[in-house]
Amino acid sequence: MNKFLTLLTFIFSITVNSQSTLPNISLNSLEGNEINIQSISSDDKIAVVSLWATWCVPCIKELDAISEYYEEWRDEVNFELYAISTDDSRTIKRVNAMVNGKGWDYTILLDSNNELQRSLGASTIPLTLIVKNNEIVYRHSGYSAGVEFELFNKIKELK
Amino acid sequence: MKKLLFFISVIFSLTTVAQSNENIFGSFESNSQLLQDDNSLNFTSPEDNFRANNYFQLNYNIGNVSTGIQYESYLPSAMLGYYPQYNGENGIASYFVNIKRNKTDITFGYFYGQFGNGLIFRSWENRQLGINNAIKGIKLKYKFSESFNLTTIYGQQRNGFELNEATIQGVDTNLNLNKFLNLDKTDLTIGASYIGRYQNNSTNDLIPANVKSLGARVDLYSGRFSLNFEGIIKDSDVIANEGIILSDKLYDGTALQLDLGYSKKGLGLNTTFRRLENFNFYSDRLAEGNIYNQQTISYTPALTKQQDYLLTNIYVYSAQPRLVINALENRSGEVGSQTDFYYTFKKDSFLGKYKSKIAVNFSYWAAIESNFNQDQSYDVEFIGDGNRYYRDFNFELKNRWSNKFNTTITMLDVIIDKGVALGGPLGVQGDIKAKVGVIEGTYRYENGKSSRAVIQHLWTKNDKKNWAGLVYEYNFSTNLNVFIADGWNYGGTDKIHYYNFGGSYSKDNIRLSLNYGRQRGGLICVGGVCRYVPENTGVNLNLNLVF
Repeated sequence: MNKFLTLLTFIFSITVNSQSTLPNISLNSLEGNEINIQSISSDDKIAVVSLWATWCVPCIKELDAISEYYEEWRDEVNFELYAISTDDSRTIKRVNAMVNGKGWDYTILLDSNNELQRSLGASTIPLTLIVKNNEIVYRHSGYSAGVEFELFNKIKELK
Repeated sequence: MKKLLFFISVIFSLTTVAQSNENIFGSFESNSQLLQDDNSLNFTSPEDNFRANNYFQLNYNIGNVSTGIQYESYLPSAMLGYYPQYNGENGIASYFVNIKRNKTDITFGYFYGQFGNGLIFRSWENRQLGINNAIKGIKLKYKFSESFNLTTIYGQQRNGFELNEATIQGVDTNLNLNKFLNLDKTDLTIGASYIGRYQNNSTNDLIPANVKSLGARVDLYSGRFSLNFEGIIKDSDVIANEGIILSDKLYDGTALQLDLGYSKKGLGLNTTFRRLENFNFYSDRLAEGNIYNQQTISYTPALTKQQDYLLTNIYVYSAQPRLVINALENRSGEVGSQTDFYYTFKKDSFLGKYKSKIAVNFSYWAAIESNFNQDQSYDVEFIGDGNRYYRDFNFELKNRWSNKFNTTITMLDVIIDKGVALGGPLGVQGDIKAKVGVIEGTYRYENGKSSRAVIQHLWTKNDKKNWAGLVYEYNFSTNLNVFIADGWNYGGTDKIHYYNFGGSYSKDNIRLSLNYGRQRGGLICVGGVCRYVPENTGVNLNLNLVF
């Protein structure tokens, strides 16, 4: 237990002086084009990264909720949402059908062996990030009704 | 532990002279439980009633070089239902150095990876399931051009904190044909894979030392249509269960999967057919049939819809790809299909002024029809009329009634073989037929406050009979929530309440959740792979921290 506490103290002490950026990982789009995720927020672009899966109910609630306002919000602030599916081969074929069936206008990327999820230390999804110039400026895990408005307020602050 | 802290200190001393292209990041996850006796469940807490799984991961990147290390501890014991080999262990579980340069991407140390659908090869980590089948060795990916790449792997697979003796080799290639065929609006990729396992057979020449799988696939996307096909053949090998070889004969295996999709904005349709005959591949020939999903090379998840409510995941399917020949049962694998349909109604439809959404899923999985002969050989149909293992028809309707209020209605109609659901031989114990209905409502107040309530009911005349369920969750803000839940098996003989209450806090880099209650015994599934958890009562604490 003592060791455990030492470790914990240690982690807390390093959290203070750490920085957070997106790792150098390339992901495929649904059509198989490779996109390096460090490029999505370069030149002051604002990118929202949402890690989701077709079987994750809160993830879908969040993406459904944002999709209600996506068009309207993007008229106000220029940003792009990258919905990164962590579905593995069991459900990955469902991704395209679900994205279209739900009428989502997001850019879809596939993290099918969870390389990105692992390097972001995301043990649970949904995980939502706002990234600008590759710096993670906002991070939220889990979904409750209304998170989408908090997210948009943060985006507006960055404009 | 000292080694780990030393390693971290070294990295930190490096970062004090940090350059701009350097960065350091990591995470810490701790899942722990404190168990207590519960007479109503007949649950006696084990002597070591405090159990914890901890993972500490640290990464350091400089330029094109990434490095990482993961420390794991299962002290004083691993949580209930995890691979017993982890109990009481701790240490550095994995580490790697990766270099990306021009067309080359090379990893030394422990790596994960997947070929094609993963049917032939997948090494991955899932902490909830207690799976980490990373391979220690070398992975090299080389991009010859935008259209052609090749990946090779070589190494030994992790098993607990040790490595399996067998060596695994693999090659995977992908070739995009768009340029060669001058395809414009169509995207066509073909791929081929090879996986081999060399495992010493001592002096027993009847057991093959080398076993390999070969696979080929085609992925086609054209406008609204998509088609994906993958086929794999596996060499003859022994079949085993719990460390014992089941037959004197050797058997080969095959896997086939075909997906067809059609989608346009507002409508999506996808259907999958899969046939698995004696198809599973482990990094140890005797690991077949282990219930902890350990030492797997192939990845054969259940292809059904994964549900997330209290009562909708009592009767879940797990894939049955094995060839089993013994006194109790004879079976050669699984065949079946599933279909998904998604549709978004226009605004102002008969379902309300907001866009309503429906999702429908149907799946049917059965044994491949086979006849078993006296000499332990068998004759098999391509599909035939084998025992039904699982049939599921489910449907979900999401409605938004106002800016503040929305509902989801879910209905399930499931038939599952008792052997699949509860254990024992398959196809001979009869079925469980169940219907489940769920209504969920979410109401949003101002300032991130919201309420969510779920009522649900499961009807069945089999197994433990009827259930009723209730969940209420209140969000004080988008960061903090509390919940109470109860799954009441009022039709069962003991009329047990599986109650739970707790809360979670999530802000920036920290997520913390705490709950107390009863865990229903059964399968916990993530992405089609399930882990069995025995019934228990206690406190659970999860902490996740990233930096």
